[in-house]
Amino acid sequence: MNAQPSRTNFSALRQLALYVVFGLAAVVWLLGLAANSTGSAVTGGAIDAENDAITIALRTEPPQLDYGRATDSSSLTVLFHTMEGLLTYDDEMALIPGVAERWEIREDGATFWLREDARWSNGEPVTAHDFVFAWRRVQDPATASAYAFIMYPVKNAEAINRGDLPRETLGVRAVGDRILEVEFEQPTPYFDKLVAFVTFYPINEAFFESTGGRFGADADMLLYNGPYLMTEWVHSASMRWERNPDYWGDHKGFIDTINVGYITQDVNSRLNLFKDGQIADTQLVPQMLGEAMERRWQIDRSMDGTVFFLQLNFRDGHVTANKNFRKALLLAQDPVEFVYKALKEPSYMPAVSLFPYWIRGAEDYFRQEHPPIPHEYNVAKAREHLELARRELGLEEFPPIHLLADDSPLGSISAEYFQAVYARNLGLEMRIDKQIFKQRLAKMDAGEFDIVVSGWGPDYDDALTFGDLFSSWNLNNRGRYTSPEMDALVRIAQSELDPVRRMEAFAQIQDLVQEDVVIVPMYERGWSFVVDPRLKGFKRRAVGPEVDYTYAWIDEQAAD
Amino acid sequence: MSYGAADFLPVSGQRDVHGISRPSLSYLQDAWLRLKANRRALASLYLVLGLLFFTIAGPWIWRVDSAVQDLDQISQPPGVDRAALIVPDYQSWDGAGEAGPLHVVGDATSQSVRLKWDALPGANGHRVYRNIFPVGPELAYGMPLAEFFDNTILYHEDRLDLRPGRYFYSVVALGEDGAVTANYESLTVDVRRVTTLAEAVDRGLIENEDQLAVGDSIELQLHPLGTDYLGRDMLARLMAGARVSLFIGIVAPALFVLFGVVFGAAAGFVGGRVDQFMMRFADFVVALPFLLFMILFKIAFGIGPGESGVMPMLVAMVVLLWPATARLVRGQILQLREAAYVQASQLLGARTNYLVLRHMLPNTLGVVLVTLTFEIPKAIFVEAFLSFIGMGVAPPTPSWGSMSNEGIATMLTTPHELIFPALFISITVLAFNLLGDGLRDALDARMRNAG
Repeated sequence: MNAQPSRTNFSALRQLALYVVFGLAAVVWLLGLAANSTGSAVTGGAIDAENDAITIALRTEPPQLDYGRATDSSSLTVLFHTMEGLLTYDDEMALIPGVAERWEIREDGATFWLREDARWSNGEPVTAHDFVFAWRRVQDPATASAYAFIMYPVKNAEAINRGDLPRETLGVRAVGDRILEVEFEQPTPYFDKLVAFVTFYPINEAFFESTGGRFGADADMLLYNGPYLMTEWVHSASMRWERNPDYWGDHKGFIDTINVGYITQDVNSRLNLFKDGQIADTQLVPQMLGEAMERRWQIDRSMDGTVFFLQLNFRDGHVTANKNFRKALLLAQDPVEFVYKALKEPSYMPAVSLFPYWIRGAEDYFRQEHPPIPHEYNVAKAREHLELARRELGLEEFPPIHLLADDSPLGSISAEYFQAVYARNLGLEMRIDKQIFKQRLAKMDAGEFDIVVSGWGPDYDDALTFGDLFSSWNLNNRGRYTSPEMDALVRIAQSELDPVRRMEAFAQIQDLVQEDVVIVPMYERGWSFVVDPRLKGFKRRAVGPEVDYTYAWIDEQAAD
Repeated sequence: MSYGAADFLPVSGQRDVHGISRPSLSYLQDAWLRLKANRRALASLYLVLGLLFFTIAGPWIWRVDSAVQDLDQISQPPGVDRAALIVPDYQSWDGAGEAGPLHVVGDATSQSVRLKWDALPGANGHRVYRNIFPVGPELAYGMPLAEFFDNTILYHEDRLDLRPGRYFYSVVALGEDGAVTANYESLTVDVRRVTTLAEAVDRGLIENEDQLAVGDSIELQLHPLGTDYLGRDMLARLMAGARVSLFIGIVAPALFVLFGVVFGAAAGFVGGRVDQFMMRFADFVVALPFLLFMILFKIAFGIGPGESGVMPMLVAMVVLLWPATARLVRGQILQLREAAYVQASQLLGARTNYLVLRHMLPNTLGVVLVTLTFEIPKAIFVEAFLSFIGMGVAPPTPSWGSMSNEGIATMLTTPHELIFPALFISITVLAFNLLGDGLRDALDARMRNAG
């Protein structure tokens, strides 16, 4: 009934409108209050030249900062700024002295001479005993360090970690306060690169005992010896790093204060913070590039170091254990199409090999010395191999393939892309199993997959960090690929002292991975990012921390 | 006074005093009339019918597979020019071509743009950029495509997501420390959309390669509503998604409303202790957390990875959502049981069956229908929500909820991927709600003939 509003009705309407307006005004006012109160927590914006401070955002919060047990990239980033090991990296990613001022690596062991002026943040000197204590603790089964294996080149490390030997038998000892002697299990020519990793950082024993099991849980539950001190850590909200006045060198740590003002996974909110001048740098995903170009930002790029691939399951009862089947999978897809058309990410590179392009060889880049066989995209040939596999396996039809992936946007795109590619080119049915990161790893460990979308990032700057991935004893070889040939090659790569012969072993590993189709390479990950023009010297790294502000400084003159 | 026999004859027939001028109407006929008068409700009814047609008949008319990826047209908004030139198959390039300042070797096509340049003076390597705007005085070169840390490689082949249109390429000299300098060379390139014969056959545009030759023009596949982030046809996906959404949206409420009616009617009619017991059981079911049970059902059903979670979703909804209807119907029945006409009927000796079927159920029909129409949009919402958080359909099967989830990532650049599924959810939910509203008014006996 469309009754004509009477006079009284009309005024009632007016009154109602008035209420609505007042109500809305109240809501807006309250929202404004809320926004102000959150905004006031962070002062100074992205770059505060007056106080020599910057504000940044981290992607995730470190679960804890006990470096004996740290595994995630956020922890690595925080620890790289606040700690220092025997050796460390310069701004060009070359090894430079850290706590050790010089070192020597022999066939049977290594010696590190520690500098006199390396200090903990409580004023005590960093001594060789601190390293001995920390390393023994990492191998102690009670610590349950996920990265214990990285120390296995040290004598008895593996046996101690298994619980067969007491921790005092670890092949490392302090000769006085300033000499650290390491004994090797087998020749380890790349040991200098290992000790830059967080698992090898020192711990002051007296301080560790005083924390009562809360080591690394809070800002005051750590002693620092790096270029920055963490003075404040508000969990899941913010951190504050201040320049360490007792740091021995003046080659890094130029900015006085680094505020980690925000901890958020969401790339869009980080972009908004950057646009508002609240943080100094942010990552750009492909759909942001158009806007970035429109805003005339200077977009930068870097390689992240990680290689992504489809890892195949070699356990019995999986069709992927058949070599012809794996060949078919490799031939029927084109990483170039995947990266350039489906992912559209300019900083990614289509992958061909297990080894990323930036890995160093004997003299030049490894991949220039030993180029991998180029990828061949050949559907007809793939179908032939598939037919062979079908006959070898005695199957009428292939069962649905179990494709395991992360539930991240990238994981989903990858899984759905390969699902469609293999359906189109090979007529295979793929069932996608999306899981959160931890659950994906658990399923990979249990072997509950045929194919898994996974990646491998470097722990240290040496080809071996990728090269030993598919040895039969490596627990990260989650497809359980076993080949005596591979194991023999990995042993050569681990202990060969001649760099040329060592790189040849890596080249053979590269060929074997391609020949046996252990993986289907997808892409080498990179970053497209923007940095506030006033911030100079900022680095994104492939090895070690994801972001590095230790060499950064503020240049006020640079206008934006 | 004397009376004749004629005086004792029955009164003949009816006298035409209170004539019925209009035809007698049954309850439903009357309701229909009133519904028709309600323009909003009628429009919603047509919308709902249209949606059903879209869902059921749509895939027969628009015969495109919702899972096929058209990688030439990824994230394409609707209504883009689709003309493409046929070129020979892609051949890899090793940087051959004339030397000279930054120039394009061969044609600039959506297949590849091949750039070659002479080393810039004083360069220790180069970085190649692509922009959609000219570089300008800010030296905003655009997005970096590749970098070379020495002067041995002086060419780059760009194959990254090339679309027809104008690009501004720059080659920038790197300084000694590998940093970008202000020393650059720029080039404007117009890219043409191309395809190859093999691709045209692969995408089903032509039957075989003899039909066309290199140099001919061809129209790429039509996507009326554009494509999603993997080049899948949005219209086909919306239709496939509608199947899931409407299946859950109609079947689940139909089942749990039916169960609720039976349960509530039984409780209300029997009354007493049985009623108390049954309604406390309903209270218990209300208290069960839906999401948790949804997950439990998924596990109990043995739904493996990559299999659709639609059946457990359906079961969870039927098992957990009936009490609202049951309560409503029980209340109605309790009221009706005490109504005068029911008691009269009982006094006249009507049996229970007759009472329930003749008096009680028809009188609750209005309430039930209204509940049903309000439960449908709720169920569609629940499905969309569960698929949005990844508990529903398994890829590549789309549903409006999962499509919205996927569309969020590209909301700012290609909004159509989010807008279309969101629009469909909104319109469907609105239509069912308005229809329910109209039905409530139309079926309300107290409003009979009021309009």
